[in-house]
Amino acid sequence: MEKVGAVMVVGAGIGGSQASLDLADSGYKVYLIESTTSIGGVMAQLDKTFPTNDCAMCIVSPKLVETGRHQNIDLSINCKIQEVSGEAGNFTVKVLKKSLFINQDKCTGCGVCGKECPVEAIDIFNEGLAKYAATSVRYPQAVPLVYAINKDYCIGCGICAGVCKAKAVEYDLEDEEVDLNVGAIILSPGFDEYVPPKANLYGYGKYKNVVTSIEFERILSASGPYAGRVLRPSDGDVPEKVAFLQCIGSRDFSGSGNPYCSSVCCMYTAKEAVIAHEHMHQIKPTIFSMDVRAYGKDFDKYIIRAQEEYGVQYIRSRISSIQEVPETNDLRIRYETEDGKVKEEIFQMVVLAVGFNPPNDAKYLAEKFGIELNEYNFAKTDIFNPVQTSKPGIFACGAFSSPKDIPDTVTQASAAAGCVNQLLYDEKGTLITEKSLPPEIFVNGQPPRIGVFICHCGINIGGFVDVPEVTRYAKTLPNVVLSDRNLYTCSADTQTIIKNMVKEYHLNRVIVASCTPRTHEPLFQETIREAGLNRYLFQMANIRDQCSWVHMNEPEAATEKAKDLVRMAVNKARKIQPIDRIKLSVTPKALVVGGGISGMAAALNFASQEYETYLVEKQDKLGGFANNIYHTLEGGDVQAFITDLIKKIESHEFIHVYKEAEIENIDGYIGNFKTSIIYGKNKEKAEFEHGVVIVATGAKEYQPNEYLYGQNDLVILQSELEKILNTSDDIKKKKSIVMIQCVGSRNDEHPYCSKMCCAEAIKNALLAKEKNPDVEITVLFRDIRTYGFKEKYYRKAREAGVIFIQYDENDPPKINVEDSELRVEVKTARHDTINIKSDWLVLSAGIYAIREENEDLAKMLKVPLNDDNFFLEAHVKLRPVDFATEGVFVAGIAHCPKTIEDSIAQANAAVSRACTILSKEEIEAEGKTAQIDMSRCIGCGMCIENCAYNAIELIDDRRFGRVAYINQALCKGCGACSGNCRCAAIDILGFTGEQIFSMITGRVS
Amino acid sequence: MGIEIKNQEIENQMRELARNLLNEKKVDVIIGYAKGTVPLSSAPIMITNEEDIDKLIWNNLCYINLAKYLVPRIPQLIDPEGNNLKVGIVSKGCVGRALIHLAVEKQINLDDIKIIGIPCNGIINRKKVEKEIDEKEILEVSASGNDIVVKGKDFEQKFPFDEYINELCKVCKVKSPPTDASISEACVGECQEISNLEDDFADLAEFEAKSSKEKWDYIKDLLKTCTRCYACREACPMCYCNLCFVDQNKPIWFGKTTELSDIIVFHLIRAMHLAGRCVACGACSSVCPMGIDLNLITRKLEKMVKERFDFTSGIDSETLPPMMSFNMDDEQEFMLEED
Amino acid sequence: MTVKNEQEAEKSEEWEPKIIAFLCNWCSYAGADLAGVSRIQYPPNIRIVRVPCSGRVNPYFIVKSLTDGWDGVVVSGCHPGDCHYLTGNLVARRRFAILKELLEFFGIEPGRVNFMWASAAEGERFAVLIRKATKIVKELGPNKKFEKKW
Repeated sequence: MEKVGAVMVVGAGIGGSQASLDLADSGYKVYLIESTTSIGGVMAQLDKTFPTNDCAMCIVSPKLVETGRHQNIDLSINCKIQEVSGEAGNFTVKVLKKSLFINQDKCTGCGVCGKECPVEAIDIFNEGLAKYAATSVRYPQAVPLVYAINKDYCIGCGICAGVCKAKAVEYDLEDEEVDLNVGAIILSPGFDEYVPPKANLYGYGKYKNVVTSIEFERILSASGPYAGRVLRPSDGDVPEKVAFLQCIGSRDFSGSGNPYCSSVCCMYTAKEAVIAHEHMHQIKPTIFSMDVRAYGKDFDKYIIRAQEEYGVQYIRSRISSIQEVPETNDLRIRYETEDGKVKEEIFQMVVLAVGFNPPNDAKYLAEKFGIELNEYNFAKTDIFNPVQTSKPGIFACGAFSSPKDIPDTVTQASAAAGCVNQLLYDEKGTLITEKSLPPEIFVNGQPPRIGVFICHCGINIGGFVDVPEVTRYAKTLPNVVLSDRNLYTCSADTQTIIKNMVKEYHLNRVIVASCTPRTHEPLFQETIREAGLNRYLFQMANIRDQCSWVHMNEPEAATEKAKDLVRMAVNKARKIQPIDRIKLSVTPKALVVGGGISGMAAALNFASQEYETYLVEKQDKLGGFANNIYHTLEGGDVQAFITDLIKKIESHEFIHVYKEAEIENIDGYIGNFKTSIIYGKNKEKAEFEHGVVIVATGAKEYQPNEYLYGQNDLVILQSELEKILNTSDDIKKKKSIVMIQCVGSRNDEHPYCSKMCCAEAIKNALLAKEKNPDVEITVLFRDIRTYGFKEKYYRKAREAGVIFIQYDENDPPKINVEDSELRVEVKTARHDTINIKSDWLVLSAGIYAIREENEDLAKMLKVPLNDDNFFLEAHVKLRPVDFATEGVFVAGIAHCPKTIEDSIAQANAAVSRACTILSKEEIEAEGKTAQIDMSRCIGCGMCIENCAYNAIELIDDRRFGRVAYINQALCKGCGACSGNCRCAAIDILGFTGEQIFSMITGRVS
Repeated sequence: MGIEIKNQEIENQMRELARNLLNEKKVDVIIGYAKGTVPLSSAPIMITNEEDIDKLIWNNLCYINLAKYLVPRIPQLIDPEGNNLKVGIVSKGCVGRALIHLAVEKQINLDDIKIIGIPCNGIINRKKVEKEIDEKEILEVSASGNDIVVKGKDFEQKFPFDEYINELCKVCKVKSPPTDASISEACVGECQEISNLEDDFADLAEFEAKSSKEKWDYIKDLLKTCTRCYACREACPMCYCNLCFVDQNKPIWFGKTTELSDIIVFHLIRAMHLAGRCVACGACSSVCPMGIDLNLITRKLEKMVKERFDFTSGIDSETLPPMMSFNMDDEQEFMLEED
Repeated sequence: MTVKNEQEAEKSEEWEPKIIAFLCNWCSYAGADLAGVSRIQYPPNIRIVRVPCSGRVNPYFIVKSLTDGWDGVVVSGCHPGDCHYLTGNLVARRRFAILKELLEFFGIEPGRVNFMWASAAEGERFAVLIRKATKIVKELGPNKKFEKKW
């Protein structure tokens, strides 16, 4: 069967969007299928994200806009999957595109229909907390910005069709069915939130001031129902005491909830508590939780900050019921304190931290695509490759396979794309089309001939701004040779008009005065490019979103403002010049630093796409720390897996393995690196060129000084126990084992969770119990962090009789040696002291990174380390495997402690990100970059320190001496360098000093 | 001890150090101060011969910041092959600060420089003295005991030294050049390790309490006589741009005239450019032919970076200056917020 | 109220300041768009100049705006931590802190130049702060300090 160079992505949340962008950027045709009417999923609903408190909309919206207008992405909304046939490499999917009753090609998203619609329907996006019309978009920044009519609410009054000047409303528009032929499929339908059943113990749906966490998220949001003020639904008062209840619908083995842990609730609850307090200082949040599962990068620090800086109070208790105080609508909570007393407290509001359910249509999708689901109805995935479903060629990412947060979702999305690359690499570029464009008209040195097109936007602008007057005014401005107005400047027919006018009037600058450049600039740029003008000879004046819509009651002032905005655009247009994007060649080879599981997985993926790969390992054998691991908690045979992997790597024709290797130097930048190493026993030298780098250097197991480790032979590490259990029967002679968790983790020196230790301890405890059911095992812990489906094994361990005792970090267990016997003394939460005789004391040692080891590499690659010496990615949420320095990526434990399967996912993700570079012969640099005037530069180095992308360095120029040099491949054009430059030696193309000067000056008073 | 005796001690010590550096071939040239051609002044001097060492002087009129001659290097400090000569530079505290800051800005390399540290005891406020003397011609200025003695044709007037030194010198806490472990190689003579400078900036309190209008009026009055001769800029060791912002074109951001608003903008932007960089040497004020005293602005610059970023320019060679760095936790009390 | 005060009050009612606003492309400009999409009304005094990042805003832009007769200046960027370019707004914040203090030291009224953060989701906040800035500038009256005498 012939392979197809197209991919279908089902579900356009942040995961689906990321996977689509990766694949589209790597040369595949992508069909992105979304069931709702806009993309962005749950992330677009969030106010802020942990642990950085980034504004979700700020960071996600550029990505959504890019997805919406990517040349290689075919986005379809309001769709349903009908039928799937075929196999890996060649599937055919029948998709039903349900009618929006508004013609997508004609709708300009102006929103008049929604405003005029007389029927109010429930708004899903704001979780029912605000009202929207039957004709609506899901949220104001929706991509694509087209309206849809909800036929369930529509009364057919015809008003919307009447007011739509674009004639986009078509009540008789019918559903459409299409067959799409693709080589691979990525499923990213996300999750559905757990909805507490009505009349439950928590009074959800009955008591007004009990809300779910997603509802609370909308309450927090600046674009939410109360504009970011935290008010309680019953009376709009500011709640003083807010209780957050964890594990609603999660870790529930008896009730109506799910037995697994939803992985993210502990963190999002901490975030919501912090943000609530930040929005309104009078709010005092209390969080009721069992274990606090802050297992991710920098999560524990966030929890500590929540407590110390925001006064968030944690109470370790699971609440069983809530009662409303009828007079005040306050809520009464009874709980048991840690020392066993029962307390009662009144709260003004209660937030239920609801967990994740599999998506409602999980079974439907599984059946259609022929994939298996797991016991919880999430997608079943491969034990070592968490994005591989049970069917070859079909991948799953994000919360569809297990509850997970945004960075893990984004990582998996890229990982799925990385796996698609392995399958379809030789079909890359076969189905994408490149537009043929006329040669650019040479305009340099010619006086500006400016054409101004002013948009009525139906009545959106024309109803408040005197458009004819603005058009007349524009004509009077210097160098304006044409001033015209259109009903909708963005409509297809106006594009033809603009192109004709460019020819007829010999325009060499074009201005559109209409809506916002954030959504419409690319469209007009494309139009003038088709007319033969350089894309950058375009300017926009935002006279709708930033004028007519915000001054609806002051038409005269709005008209004056529109004139000013048009004049400023004309002034700038007179100073704009064509910009040629610089093209850089790419060496299609990869360097992978580190030969552990992540490094090997990455190398194998590159090599299977026939990219020559250099794998550099410090030790004399491959495998890294995984050499010490026998099984995963879920039963994966690590030794077999790793032996097979090493065999594949060492025999692969595209992989060059260098062991006992040390990197001497790495030079260059994205697409063009040059590395020299010394390797082997004989210290041989090697040099190679490559286009990308993957950092997979791993980390180390902590070697404890505490608990007599190294002094008493009965004290061993968890990894040592694992070896004993798997290679001997020594366990059969033992009567009692004590395990201590968090040794070298979550303390002052290593203030983070090592993530794997809880699972490792439970894994070993279960194996020990299996081999010797009589052995008594006691685990001393602070929080048990068996997140996700690992919760099952925690329960299994308890069922198997493993005893779990919580200890206080400030009063850790004490070890006494009596007659060469170990005795462990531990104080429980109820302040009883327990003494346990122990044959082995097993320490769950944490994972730590060594600054001295990582620093050299970090400096060579110009990438940062965090406070804990792990490598710091470009963006914690949305760029989890990228570095700010382009062309360099991170995978595995070098990034932070993580499991084997997560490391492999990250490796594949890093490869996918790297392939967006390697798949191109040339990469185009950003057009609007910083330019240096060397004759002005004095080489003070200020710009270098202020550049977030390491794009600037000092060079010795033959003519100008030591001056700054800006690498156009790395520059993003932010201008932080230029804003501080005393010599005005740096200018930013597209936003030059001259252009901004011309906008400030030349006012007509 | 009288000032003249202290000066003599400093001068002797300085000559001795300079002589040794030249003799031991540790430097090729010494930059220092020589007697000025007119009273109330001093002049820079470059010495390559041991015999000329006695031309080096130290007194309270050595207002030039000698670091200025290193950036860009003047031809006298470069050998015929174009290589940098090794330079010994007589350094009072603020010259030392300038050298360190210039090293941070990668303008000089302290490996080919010897800092000849001297403990400065203050620079005479020329303008203040001239103002008192009025139109009369000054023939000689000297120090005696705790006084500055000004002699003319038919008069002699004494001024209390502590009152008639520069305002900046009155509050100066870095009398001799700062040094630290990484630059101690370059230092000879009297240099000091500075860990934490405390300053309450009490001298600014009165001005800062004024209303906007009063401040504006004061600034207008202060700068109204400025002729834009740029002597301040030329004397400033930190004004080393190839092309000063006032001389830039495309676009011409600010007017070049001596209309008062153009003058004020010049001084405002120049101050902006010196934030976190000004080493408070006062050379700008000392050289101003119109007698404009810029010390208030200088102090404000020091205060802003000290209070906001706990930074003092030119006292350690390892810390990045505030405009070259940033911090997530910087104060932002000045931002507009909702009520 | 005296006659003179009354006259002045009347005059200030007639007079409307012109304010130039430099907005970063990714957060504040988007926030201003959102204010529009949400039809949140605010005074029509501002003229927006789009810049890639608040880090692009050179002190020259601000001082030039004042000398060129704009009555007020607003600069708005992403909240610290949200910068599309990672740290551009942090670089800018230091620069603005110094510039604002210096302007005030030179006798420019504190309200002439206003720095603010507004995210892409904060249409309401954008409008609230622009209302506030407009009110402040209006109370200050016309910016005449840099008017040329010749």
